[in-house]
Amino acid sequence: MDEQALRELGETLQAIFAEHVLAAAVDRGELTVTVAPESLVRVLSFLRDDVNFHFRQLMDVCGVDHPEREKRFDVVYNLLSLTHNRRIRVKVMTDEHEPVPSVTGVFNSANWWERETWDMFGIMFADHPDLRRMLCDYGFEGHPLRKDFPLTGYVEVRYDNERKRVVYEPVKLEQEFRNFDFLSPWEGIQASLPGDEKAGS
Amino acid sequence: MAETQIKNLTINFGPQHPSAHGVLRLVLEMDGEVIERADPHVGLLHRGTEKLIEYKNYVQAVPYFDRLDYVAPQNQEHAFALAVEKLLGITPPLRGQYIRVLYAEIGRILNHLFTVCAYAMDIGAMTPMLWGFEERERLMEFCERVCGARLHMNYFRPGGVSQDLPAGLADDIAAWADEFPRCIDDLEALLTENRIFKQRSVDVGAISAEDAFDRGFSGPCLRASGVPWDLRKAQPYDVYDRMDFDVPVGKHGDCYDRYLVRMVELRESLKIIKQCLNEMPAGPVKVDDRKVAPPKRGEMKGSMEALIHHFKLFTEGYHVPAGETYTVVEAPKGEFGVYLVSDGSNRPYRCKIRPPGFAHLQAMDFLTRGHMLADVVAVLGSLDIVFGEIDR
Amino acid sequence: MGIAPTQPEMASGEAALEARDVDALWRGVTNAIEDRGFVLTQVDKLVNWARTGSLWPMTFGLACCAIEMMHCYVSRYDLDRFGVVPRPSPRQSDVIIVAGTLTNKMAPAFRRVYDQMAEPRYVISMGSCANGGGYYHYSYSVVRGCDRVVPVDIYVPGCPPTAEALLYGILQLQRKIKRTGTLWR
Repeated sequence: MDEQALRELGETLQAIFAEHVLAAAVDRGELTVTVAPESLVRVLSFLRDDVNFHFRQLMDVCGVDHPEREKRFDVVYNLLSLTHNRRIRVKVMTDEHEPVPSVTGVFNSANWWERETWDMFGIMFADHPDLRRMLCDYGFEGHPLRKDFPLTGYVEVRYDNERKRVVYEPVKLEQEFRNFDFLSPWEGIQASLPGDEKAGS
Repeated sequence: MAETQIKNLTINFGPQHPSAHGVLRLVLEMDGEVIERADPHVGLLHRGTEKLIEYKNYVQAVPYFDRLDYVAPQNQEHAFALAVEKLLGITPPLRGQYIRVLYAEIGRILNHLFTVCAYAMDIGAMTPMLWGFEERERLMEFCERVCGARLHMNYFRPGGVSQDLPAGLADDIAAWADEFPRCIDDLEALLTENRIFKQRSVDVGAISAEDAFDRGFSGPCLRASGVPWDLRKAQPYDVYDRMDFDVPVGKHGDCYDRYLVRMVELRESLKIIKQCLNEMPAGPVKVDDRKVAPPKRGEMKGSMEALIHHFKLFTEGYHVPAGETYTVVEAPKGEFGVYLVSDGSNRPYRCKIRPPGFAHLQAMDFLTRGHMLADVVAVLGSLDIVFGEIDR
Repeated sequence: MGIAPTQPEMASGEAALEARDVDALWRGVTNAIEDRGFVLTQVDKLVNWARTGSLWPMTFGLACCAIEMMHCYVSRYDLDRFGVVPRPSPRQSDVIIVAGTLTNKMAPAFRRVYDQMAEPRYVISMGSCANGGGYYHYSYSVVRGCDRVVPVDIYVPGCPPTAEALLYGILQLQRKIKRTGTLWR
C-alpha cells in the first residue's frame, strides 16, 4: 500500500479531530493513530461512515500491556476498509481503573473482542452490554495476559477421589519452566555486572 | 379460561456434543422448538497460546500456530512467518514463496474437504465423509513427505520454508491434482442437488452483506453474502499476485451458499496448485542469512562458523527489531491476522492472534434466532468453527 | 492359562482366547465343533472376547488429535474392522479416547462424561497434551495430563499421534483387556 496516501490519511484525521488524535504515524506501511479515550467512539464512527475512510469492518480488538508505563495498557483496534483496500490501527491508552468507552454501538463485532480483552487484561469497557469473562475458566481470578501474571497461573485442577469432584489446588510443578536468559553480556546490557563497582575505586 | 404460564426452556448444547465441532457450550433459550437466544460459551479449549508465545523465542513460537486451526495448519504458520519477515525486513527467495503458496493451497483444500464433509455429516450425509477423508489422507501424505509430520508441519519458517521439496514429490502432487476433480464431482453429485441437503441448508442462517460487515465476517462466509473480497487478490502476499484464479461469490449468504463457495474454492485452489507446480523456479528455499535461517547439515560438519550459527539460532534465536505489525493471510476460514509487537528482543512482546472463527461464532446468536433447534447444527457446521483457533 | 501357540492341536475345547496364532485358534475351534459339536471355554474369557471385539469409544474430540482420531475412524484405517464404532453418548460406550488438550475449564465436564460411562470402562489418553500437558504444559489453563482427572489405561504418544499410532494403541488396549480382564472389573 502506498505510504504517502496513508500519511495523508493520518494528517487528514489529525486536522479534523485536532487534539483528540494524539499521534498518527506510518510504520512499515501501516498507519497507527493514537486517540484520546473520550473521543474514541466519535473517531471510530467517523472512520466507519466517512466516504474517504469507510473503514466498515472492525477486524480485531486487543490489549497490550506495558507495566512500566503510567497508563499501562494499549487497546488496539484494527480496522479494514474494503472499498479503499486499506487498514488502520487505532490505539487508546488506559490503566487498570479507567474504563474505555465500548464501541459495540459502532461495530457489532466489538462485543466479543472487548469481552476477551477484559478477560485477558482486565481493561474495563464502559457501557458494554455484557462484560463477562470469555475464555478463562468459570471463576478464574486474575487476568492472564498481564505481564505480572505468572505463566503457570495460580491454580491447577485434580480429581479428588474422596470428595468425588474436580478440585482446584495451588500450582505445584515437578519442574519449573526453564527460562533461559540468552541476552549475551556483550550486546544490550543495561544493568551493571557484578564487580563493576570496583572499577571506580 | 385459566391462565397458563409459558416458560422458555433453556437447554445446554455441549460441551460434549458430536456436532459441536469440538468443545462448544451453547446455552440455548428455546420457545418450544424455536430458538429465542443463543449464548455460546467458548474457552473450553483455552490453552493460553498467546501467553506461551511471549515466553518462547520466535523459532519456538511457530509450532503454536499449527495447533491453532488444526484443520489447515499451514495457513496459520504462513501468517506468523509473514509477520516476522515484515518486522525483520526480509523476503524469502522465490522458490520458497512458491512452495509456501503451494502448501497454503493444499491447506485450503484440506480445510474445505473437512468442512464440507463434516457439515454434510452434521446434517445427515455419511458418505462424503468417507470419500473426502481419503483425499485428505493423500494430502497429508504430501505434508508428511515434505516435512515429516502429517498434521502439524512446522514447515513455513520466517525466511522461507524449512527444507526443499524431496525428489518426485512435485510429480506426485501434479498427478493427484489431475485426479482430484473427480472427487469434487463425486461430492457435488452427492450433495449439491440433494433434496434433503437443500432442505436443511437453503435459507438457513442467512446473513446480508451489511450485517456481515458489521459482524466482522471474512473469508468464504463473507463471500457467500456476495462480497467479492479475497485477501489473496486484494492484498496479495508471497506470489499470489502471479496466480490466476477466480474468487467465487454467493448470493444469499445462507448455509447452502457457504457450501457452494467452498466447493468452487476447491477447484480454484487446484488451479493455483497446478500453476505453482508449473512455474516454480529452481533455487534456494530460505533466505541466505545465517542469523535467520539455519545452515545446511553438510555445511555444519565442516564449518565451525556454521555450527556456531546453528547453535545460536536454536538456542537464542534471532532478535527482531522493535516495532509492530498486523499481518493477515487469507486462511481457509477467513482473515487470519497476527498482531505482533516486538521490543527488540528474541521473544515476541505480544502476539495477538486474530482468528476468523471468533467473529463468525459471535454471530451465532444473530444467525440462529428464530430458527429451529436442528438448524443450530447446520449453521455451526457451515460457519466452519474450529475451537483451537477460537479459544487459542 | 491358555494354550501356547506352539501347541499345534487344541485338544481341549477351551479355545485359548489370547492365542496369538489366530489360525491355530480357529483350527482348534473348528476341530472341537467337528468332534463334539460344541466348544468349551471360560465365561470370563468369553466376556473378554466380546469386550475386545466391540470396543465402542466415546467421540471425545478436544483438539488437534481429534482430526487424527477421525482419520482413524474413516476410510483408510477403518476402525470398524475391529468393532470400534464411535458412539455419541457416554452411556453406550466402553472406552473414551481423550483426544486433545484438556483444559481446566473442560475438566469438570470431562469427569462428568467419564462418570456417566458404565463399567467396565477404559480410557485411552491420546497425544502429548492429554498424556502430560505436552507443548502446553506450563500454561495457566491446561491440566497437566488427563490422568489427574481420570485413570488412564493406555497412553498414545505423539503430537499428534498418527492414525496408525492410535490404531496400535487400541490394539494394545484389546491385549490389555484380554490379559487382565475379569468378569467383574
